[in-house]
Amino acid sequence: MAAEAVRRSRARYAMVLGMVVTGIAAITLFFEPRLVAQKEVSEKDVLPVIQRCSQCHGAQLQMSKLDLSSREGMLKGGEKGTALVPGNAEASPLYLRVAGLQQPAMPMAPVPALNAQEVALLKDWINQGAKWESSPVAAHPLVPAPTSGLSAVGYKERTLTAQDRQWWAFQKPVRHPVPVVSDARWSRNPIDGFVRSMLDKKGLEPAPEADRRTLIRRAYLDLVGLLPPPAEVDAFVKDPAPDAYEKLVDRLLASPHYGERWGRHWLDVVRFADSSGFEFDISIANAWRYRDYVIKAFNQDKPYDRFVVEQLAGDEVDQPDNDSLTATTYYRVGPRVRFREKNYPSYRYDYMDDMIRTTFQGFMGLSVNCARCHDHKFDPISRLDYYKSMAAFWGYVDYDHPLAPKAQVDEYAKIVKVLEKEMTPLRQEIARIEKPYREKQRAQQVEDALKKYPADIQAAIRTPEAQRTPGQKLLVAQVLTLGADVDPDSIVVDVNASAKARARAKADQVFGAGDYGRRGGLKLSEADEAKRAALQAKIDAIEDRLPPPLPVADGVRDGDYRLSPDGLGDSNIPGTGRPTYDIKCCYIPAAGQKFEVPPLFFAANGEDIKADEKTFQVQPGFLSILNSTSPAVHPPNRPDYMSSGRRRALAEAIASKDNPLSARVMINRVWAWHFGRGIVSTPGNFGKMGTLPSHPELLDWLATEFVGQGWSIKKMHRLIMTSATYKMASGFSREADLAADPTNAYLWRFPARRMEAEIIRDTVLDASGKLNLQAGGEPFFPAIPVSVRADQPRGTWDLTKEEPSTWRRGVYAYVKRGLKYPMFEVFDEPDLNVTSEKRATSTVPTQALTLLNNEFMLMQAGHFAERVIKEAGADPEKEIRIMYQIALSRDPSPSEMRNNLAFLEKQRAWARGKGANPENEVRSALADLAHVTLNLNEFVYIK
Amino acid sequence: MNNDERNRKENYISRRKFWMEAGMGIGGLALLDLLGKDNLLAATNASCVGSAGVTGTPLMPKAPHFKPRAKSMISLFMSGGVSHLDTFQYKPALEKYDRMPMEGKGEIKVRQGYPGPLMKSPFAFKQHGQSGAWVSEIFPNIATMVDDLAFIHSCQGISNDHVISHYEWNTGSIQMGFPSVGAWITYGLGSENQNLPGFVVVLDQKGGPYAGPPNWQAGFLPAAYQGTVFRSKGDPILDLSAPGQYMTPEQQRARLDQMNLLNEGFDEKYPGMSELSARIASYELAYRMQSCAPEAVDISSESDETKQLYGINDPVTAPYGRQCLLARRLVERGVRFVQLMSGAYVSIEDTWDAHANIVTNHTLHAKEVDKPIKGLITDLKRRGLLDETLVLWHSEFGRMPISQRGVGRDHNPGAMTVFMAGAGVKGGQSIGTSDDVGYKAEEQRVTSHDLHATLLHLLGIDHKRLTYYFNGRNMRLTDVSGELIPQIVG
Repeated sequence: MAAEAVRRSRARYAMVLGMVVTGIAAITLFFEPRLVAQKEVSEKDVLPVIQRCSQCHGAQLQMSKLDLSSREGMLKGGEKGTALVPGNAEASPLYLRVAGLQQPAMPMAPVPALNAQEVALLKDWINQGAKWESSPVAAHPLVPAPTSGLSAVGYKERTLTAQDRQWWAFQKPVRHPVPVVSDARWSRNPIDGFVRSMLDKKGLEPAPEADRRTLIRRAYLDLVGLLPPPAEVDAFVKDPAPDAYEKLVDRLLASPHYGERWGRHWLDVVRFADSSGFEFDISIANAWRYRDYVIKAFNQDKPYDRFVVEQLAGDEVDQPDNDSLTATTYYRVGPRVRFREKNYPSYRYDYMDDMIRTTFQGFMGLSVNCARCHDHKFDPISRLDYYKSMAAFWGYVDYDHPLAPKAQVDEYAKIVKVLEKEMTPLRQEIARIEKPYREKQRAQQVEDALKKYPADIQAAIRTPEAQRTPGQKLLVAQVLTLGADVDPDSIVVDVNASAKARARAKADQVFGAGDYGRRGGLKLSEADEAKRAALQAKIDAIEDRLPPPLPVADGVRDGDYRLSPDGLGDSNIPGTGRPTYDIKCCYIPAAGQKFEVPPLFFAANGEDIKADEKTFQVQPGFLSILNSTSPAVHPPNRPDYMSSGRRRALAEAIASKDNPLSARVMINRVWAWHFGRGIVSTPGNFGKMGTLPSHPELLDWLATEFVGQGWSIKKMHRLIMTSATYKMASGFSREADLAADPTNAYLWRFPARRMEAEIIRDTVLDASGKLNLQAGGEPFFPAIPVSVRADQPRGTWDLTKEEPSTWRRGVYAYVKRGLKYPMFEVFDEPDLNVTSEKRATSTVPTQALTLLNNEFMLMQAGHFAERVIKEAGADPEKEIRIMYQIALSRDPSPSEMRNNLAFLEKQRAWARGKGANPENEVRSALADLAHVTLNLNEFVYIK
Repeated sequence: MNNDERNRKENYISRRKFWMEAGMGIGGLALLDLLGKDNLLAATNASCVGSAGVTGTPLMPKAPHFKPRAKSMISLFMSGGVSHLDTFQYKPALEKYDRMPMEGKGEIKVRQGYPGPLMKSPFAFKQHGQSGAWVSEIFPNIATMVDDLAFIHSCQGISNDHVISHYEWNTGSIQMGFPSVGAWITYGLGSENQNLPGFVVVLDQKGGPYAGPPNWQAGFLPAAYQGTVFRSKGDPILDLSAPGQYMTPEQQRARLDQMNLLNEGFDEKYPGMSELSARIASYELAYRMQSCAPEAVDISSESDETKQLYGINDPVTAPYGRQCLLARRLVERGVRFVQLMSGAYVSIEDTWDAHANIVTNHTLHAKEVDKPIKGLITDLKRRGLLDETLVLWHSEFGRMPISQRGVGRDHNPGAMTVFMAGAGVKGGQSIGTSDDVGYKAEEQRVTSHDLHATLLHLLGIDHKRLTYYFNGRNMRLTDVSGELIPQIVG
């Protein structure tokens, strides 16, 4: 009953948010009728309510110094005075606050807020004198603090209570028997037993089955994101086979376009982008390989548990392959500054936070990231859990895994070594030639400075070093910056590094960043210049012998981050606050070398690394609440690859069939992507701040089935899509259903929903006949105006035209954090920086402007018209029919036919009036209708 | 009745029906009928103002939490980092210790290279107005109106990185991807005019600022609340009109009418799905925006005197002058939040990022904005709009008291000056101080959360109650902190 109340309150909350902005559930409560009659209220009645308050104002945590776990605590009150005036609710802040009658509201008021019944109960209890006969709220039977180090830093870990452990999502899914229902149509698929029995219980009448045209269109759009070809629609409608639909689903599941559609869903979860964001928005060169990996994994129906392990620890498995190594790009597609990272150790902690957020919300529906600075406010996740989770990730460093057989990699390394050996003396020779010029340049710099800077700086430079004032010394150090001389003999050529630098400079139009570290040009005498040029030509010739670089995955492996090579903008200049570590070895451990993950300290944040070390070291471990028996490390069984095995252990704990969350979370996502809404409508949050499942037994059944079927996602699609639930009509309405369940939470009809941004674009191209189905590989840049490019000049965006090369599927478009493709942005492309649990569907005039006026749309409308003319000839009726069949997968109704004929007639007359010849007249009018069709609600909604 | 007449009648009836469904009243209907007439692209000015009759869009005006002091806000954002020490904070100690090392301030965290010695401002400072506020010589126009301005000298940020600090002051978070202040405000209050976007950004004519679009994005809020960039060339809004070779305005109207007719049959099968009728309504709003947005940006009707007031007659001040004049026209038309960027990250010298030379950089950029800003505040005031408009002048951080190569200054998140005007904020105030040399905020430190809480308050919003549920939390612009600045809200 309580759970039901919570669910209802959440649903209302969601509605309130959708409609009104203030969205404060407490305020809407104020207007609700009283739901309970006045009766004797004891503290036993209000305890469940107060226990919720005591999450923040209880024995463990007294925010605002308020402890509501006892009557005394309430009377005593907190920073803002007494909370309780027995006998007078209107004078008791305890009541006023939760009823929304006193502001401000609590800063982290629990969601759901108390419902009207609970508020009324509390009011009655206070008005009746707030009787309290038993002991204080005993919500926290204490267990001893687990780590002795904790008390030393004044941290008291949140203790786990029986109540914490009882939260539904922490219980292992139970395989409930499938409810038996009388309706034969609803008895064939286990899903239907659960859904129908719930409908019956709620007194809701389900929609009839959708017609075949609707079903094939729905299956196509949902599973592959493309329009069903009219001939296939026709064949399917006429197919007498009883399993025609099942065969259709199987056919679509085998299509390579399935992975393009469903891989994109997953990319939302892992906050995928092709650029890193922040100032320079640098390209992640091989992000696309990860995107292709995801598409391939869906197409191959890679078991989900394996999919999880590969992304988190594809390098640590016993037998890694190119796919599993590519999967670890998961770590690198998040938002990263990628500039002066060594100067700002705190960035690493932010990246860890990104990994914790994405991994736990994405795979397990838990917001572990909320426990970064304090124990989680609502879920039983402590700050120590957070750091134990961080410790699991702490060993990783960015690493480019070569994607080639070992022999080829070794061969490549050998060639590189030879070339380096040949090049080194040449480079040294150049340095020797340059040496005198370099010295002259430094002298010149002094002269230049004497001209360029004001008199007092000139004076500082002229003053002999020993006589300079402290201020003058600082100035001179700043003005004369050419640094130490280069020792020609110390030059060692790293071919790969120089090749990489060149490739990076080419790949990224990083304007400002390119200037950092660039040396000033030296002007040589003609003779020396000729010598240098000759040497350089030799070097170039050697470089040309370098085989093309091996393909790499931008992945990770274990190493010591403190020794990572300098990145963009890194320069070890005193005064810039760059920390130094007194360690020598080793960035990447060699085969057989002992490797230890660098220490991670509790509560560390990288702001002050010395202060960070004052707490205690944290070892990896899984969330305490899950009582996992999994080991904390699982190193690879390979002598040649040294790795801690921490990430693999974490991955295996997540992908374990004993994990109560993982299977539920993924199957709920699959459900949500099919129905537009999950059984848990907050797919990224299965904690107390999430919603309760609408069909808990179904969710459990599906989760056990998912695991039982070898974590096969395709088998789950088949199961879901062949259910009567999925096959219901969407265009169905019954007053009573609508009144009882206006949001269709119990699925009395199939929920129609707007297609996502990419699919709108894909289907427009599909209708026009211009869709370029080139799959995989480097991303393409959709055409945008120069003025939009100017909004964010940093990073890569090639200016392209509307032409076939840019008419590929949306999943292959370059995803730039600093500049979203406007058409996708306006149609609710999710925030690219955090895991997305679902896409919003907002409706705004700028969307209409895009579909009405954007050149892409108008051009494709023209192509669509051309295609129709080609297929239908000059018969307007036939043209209209074919247009409907292509775009809407159906024939027009008689009245639609009439209207459209009249429209074409009118538009032809208009074009004629503008001087069009008969052929152009037809084309112009049909383009009008084609554009109309591509804008229809029916076109952009999956029904 | 011939075909055409019948069609027109059907159109009318169908449109009438969906507007009714979309909850539109009679006023809206009359207007639509007007707009439905062929070739009527130049809607009258009156039809471009307000929200008459429109309901059900995410930008409908919403009631504030309490009586607001201002209805709309204009943010004048100076990208690159304005030196507080060369504009509004006069520091005698810098003159005294000029060219000496800065000592006793702990570790000096610079962005570029070695820390230099202290440097006095190269500009002359004078006190102005009744309030005696100090202003340097590079803001001669703003100096004349200091009694209308409330200065906050003690703003302090977290990072000395441009982009991270842009995020911080424009979104309240140093992480990428949070909703901007303008997005939160339009989410909280909607907009008074449905024919224009509720949140408009006008960029420096040379291009976008540091960080680009994330400065005005909606983050996890629905896309409806993201800032719309008004462009200085061509159509003010992306895709506001169709390229002529594809579709004429007449054709567009015909297509819209046909679309409405065809949508009707589909939507009938989905009672209770208000998003379908909202989508139809959005096309009509888009249609109106096509005439209302160009009208809003067309300054040809402004008098010469007004244009001069904004400095539009001078090539140096004209670009920002146009931005400022546009801001007035937009708030006049009910747009909720307007952000005007000064500074384009085409090169650092096109921003306020004066590493190389304070004199050349700040002299130029100050001149570009000084007269236009005075023009804006003066114009708002004389039109009676200043009382209901909050104007905020700000940047991402201040600059260092120590020099770079004796002539420039590095980034300094430790202290920054911002000022406010309008919204009934008491003018002539100087709130907070930085230390003797202006390295760090000292008295009454103001964080981005404090500033944002205060802005929301002036607009009638309690920052603790403006929340949006996302990824398991009720998110706020001010996270879990934010104290109102008493001298501003008092």
